[in-house]
Amino acid sequence: MDVFNGLMQGFAVALSPGALALCFVGVLLGTVVGVLPGLGPPATIAMLLPLTFKMEPTGAMIMLAGIYYGAKYGGSTTSILLNVPGESASVVTCLDGYQMARKGRAGAALGISAIASFIAGSFGVVALMLVAPPLAKLSLAFSSPEYFALMVLGLAMVVLLAGESLTKALLSMLVGLWIASMGTDLFSATSRFTFGQTSLLGGIDFVVVAIGLFAVGEVMANMESSEPAQMLPLPKGLRNLMPTWQDMKDCRFAFVNGSVIGFLIGVLPGAGSTIASFLSYGVEKAVSRHPEKFGTGVIEGVAAPEGANNAETGGALVPLLTLGIPGSGTTAILLAALVLWGFKPGPLFIEESPAMFWGLVASMYIGNVMLLILNLPLVGVFAQLLKLPGYAMYPLILGVSMIGVYTASGSVFDLGLLCVFGLVGYAMRRLHFPTGPMVLGLVLGDAMEKALRQSLMMSQGDLAILWQRPIPAALLAIAGILLVVPLFKKFNAVRVQVIDQEG
Amino acid sequence: MRATENTLSRRLALLAASALLAASPRAWAQAPWKPTKPVDLVVHTGPGGGSDVLARSIAVMLEKEKLLTVRVQVINKTGGNSAVAAAYLSEKRGDTHTIGLFTSVWIATPLTSAEAKVAVRDLTPVARLMLEPAVFAVRADSPFKTMRDFIEAARANPGKLKQSGGSLTSRDSIMRQALQQHTATKWAYVSFQGGGERVAALLGGHVDMMVIEPQEAGEHIRAGKMRVLAQIAEKPLSGYPGVPTLKEAGYDVTVPPQMRGVLAPPATPREVLAFWEDLFAKLHATPSWQKYMLDNQLEEGFLTGPEFPKAIDKVENELRTQYQQAGVKTVR
Repeated sequence: MDVFNGLMQGFAVALSPGALALCFVGVLLGTVVGVLPGLGPPATIAMLLPLTFKMEPTGAMIMLAGIYYGAKYGGSTTSILLNVPGESASVVTCLDGYQMARKGRAGAALGISAIASFIAGSFGVVALMLVAPPLAKLSLAFSSPEYFALMVLGLAMVVLLAGESLTKALLSMLVGLWIASMGTDLFSATSRFTFGQTSLLGGIDFVVVAIGLFAVGEVMANMESSEPAQMLPLPKGLRNLMPTWQDMKDCRFAFVNGSVIGFLIGVLPGAGSTIASFLSYGVEKAVSRHPEKFGTGVIEGVAAPEGANNAETGGALVPLLTLGIPGSGTTAILLAALVLWGFKPGPLFIEESPAMFWGLVASMYIGNVMLLILNLPLVGVFAQLLKLPGYAMYPLILGVSMIGVYTASGSVFDLGLLCVFGLVGYAMRRLHFPTGPMVLGLVLGDAMEKALRQSLMMSQGDLAILWQRPIPAALLAIAGILLVVPLFKKFNAVRVQVIDQEG
Repeated sequence: MRATENTLSRRLALLAASALLAASPRAWAQAPWKPTKPVDLVVHTGPGGGSDVLARSIAVMLEKEKLLTVRVQVINKTGGNSAVAAAYLSEKRGDTHTIGLFTSVWIATPLTSAEAKVAVRDLTPVARLMLEPAVFAVRADSPFKTMRDFIEAARANPGKLKQSGGSLTSRDSIMRQALQQHTATKWAYVSFQGGGERVAALLGGHVDMMVIEPQEAGEHIRAGKMRVLAQIAEKPLSGYPGVPTLKEAGYDVTVPPQMRGVLAPPATPREVLAFWEDLFAKLHATPSWQKYMLDNQLEEGFLTGPEFPKAIDKVENELRTQYQQAGVKTVR
């Protein structure tokens, strides 16, 4: 069946009143769980799963998928307003989003994240519809050596996240890598750095680290000032709450970058939306004309990762629907749902269940429009939050952080970890260590170590496997360039200085 | 929903009252225990994981078959390869409204991690629900048509062939260990965190073979992407006619069966244990359960009573031996 007929059939399914209602329920729930830190799409979908047994499967799938991509819209809200990431994929949004809010541009940040989400989310659906089967082959071509090179590329971007001191950024990243190594080793079943704690056997969840470093550390740093904490400036009028035309122009490349990188990373079963958001942020900074401004509140730094985590949803559905291979917790539970409803997700799924596939694709177009309409007016509502004075705002941030961590794991131990990382975050701020590289090291370190060891197991210890294949060779070359270019710049700057002094 | 629950409980109350009137005080003292508030069902995987999905399906089946008048809520205690969930269940000592779903991982983890302090036998075994069979699969375009082809190729090129699987303590790894030992051959084992990555590695041609659940393999076989060489099951699987079991293929190796079952906290009162045993025996007999088993190509293995703890001990001993032979450090 060709795409046009398929899509027409899909819209016939998705435009029925029942399906529209379910789609709306899904995206609304998604936005809510996205906004609430801790409660993520996998838990929400799992809770609703028993309900769906009494529903018509296509409608149920439309609703569950709505939660999945809807959450990516809401995730940026608390990142921007409170520096508390609402979802793991919105961690990197904190870097520039929160700084924008501090400069009184919270509305623009929230607005651009909704717009970027819409653009990239729609791109993801188009791509899913047009190129799913050929891209499924790409996802199979990617294996451990390719993942390793991808993670190296990501880590090379630390240089870009560095800020003023490269040494401090690298130290921060090394601590992140160390934390990533905690827990039970997959390959040998040995415990590493668990200090005899059962709770550390599973390693440390990076969301706990990110919330501690970003949110709790920020609150503590703000509390020490003797003068009363200032309210964040908030412009009046809905007009000033929205991104300006200039903002949109600044984000042109970020929209493309977020869409393409998000979708491609999404297709890979071993990567996921968090890595997609970090990579697109890195790329955005790498090609920017003013990379030094990243981290101080540039709008592209919000648009790129927020776009990427939405395009990722379309990508992640490619291996799920064309191969029956789930790449993340959420797609795993969608797969389980399909099996429980009596479908056979696998290579023949699209052929055998066209109504389900095309209905879902069509509903995602509709859902993305609904989300844009739903989220833009919310910008004004959420931005009001910043009118709260410090004595209300900081306890609110701490409360949201703690509830978020506890909802995610239900573990008091994790609350202790949150405090520890809050203190670490405070110390790092005082000592001018950037926190971004630590989170990046933690996110990528685990995946990178696994990919390296898997590659070496495949090649029986021969390192050549890492550059003899074309994709890893290309990715590693780009990483090499990323690492070398700033060195030249630095060398040049030092040389200029020396010449100045001598002259 | 609420209304029907109310009428149901009222009806039950009436029933109980009439039973009360009819029975002697002695018999009343022995009235069977039953749960009075929602029951927590603890699993060690996050939402979407194997145990989580099974737990939610059990909750739905119990409701649909009207076997339980209270709600079942699934509690995800992830981390530490089941150690966190086991510790949580152990802390619920004597709690009558908490039970857990366990898998063979719960037996394996305390054997290899000193930090995992709660063994399955420290908890109260209720019932074994099922055995999980598996199949040896290769790509459809693979040169290996039979198990013998693969083993002989491994013999000719020691260490060259590759198998994708889970951690070193997983069943896939033990299977390989046992086969390698039995046939004096060797091939590489590449661990992947997620099941999806393992399948992708096989289909993408990065490894040569994997051990996979029959239901999951089924779809790839239908699409002509995968071929099955042998099955690991006590009895041949209905979905795989003509595929030999390992023994039929000429490799008589014994591996500890992979099981799923129900545990209760330590010091569970005997009448409470009796209730859970009876509940799962009833569930096992329902058409919903039988359909679930068939749809997922699972193997019959319901077991309760004194034989069940013995079966757990047997698996534990076999696993310990296998780990020691594989060079995995055991702590118990």
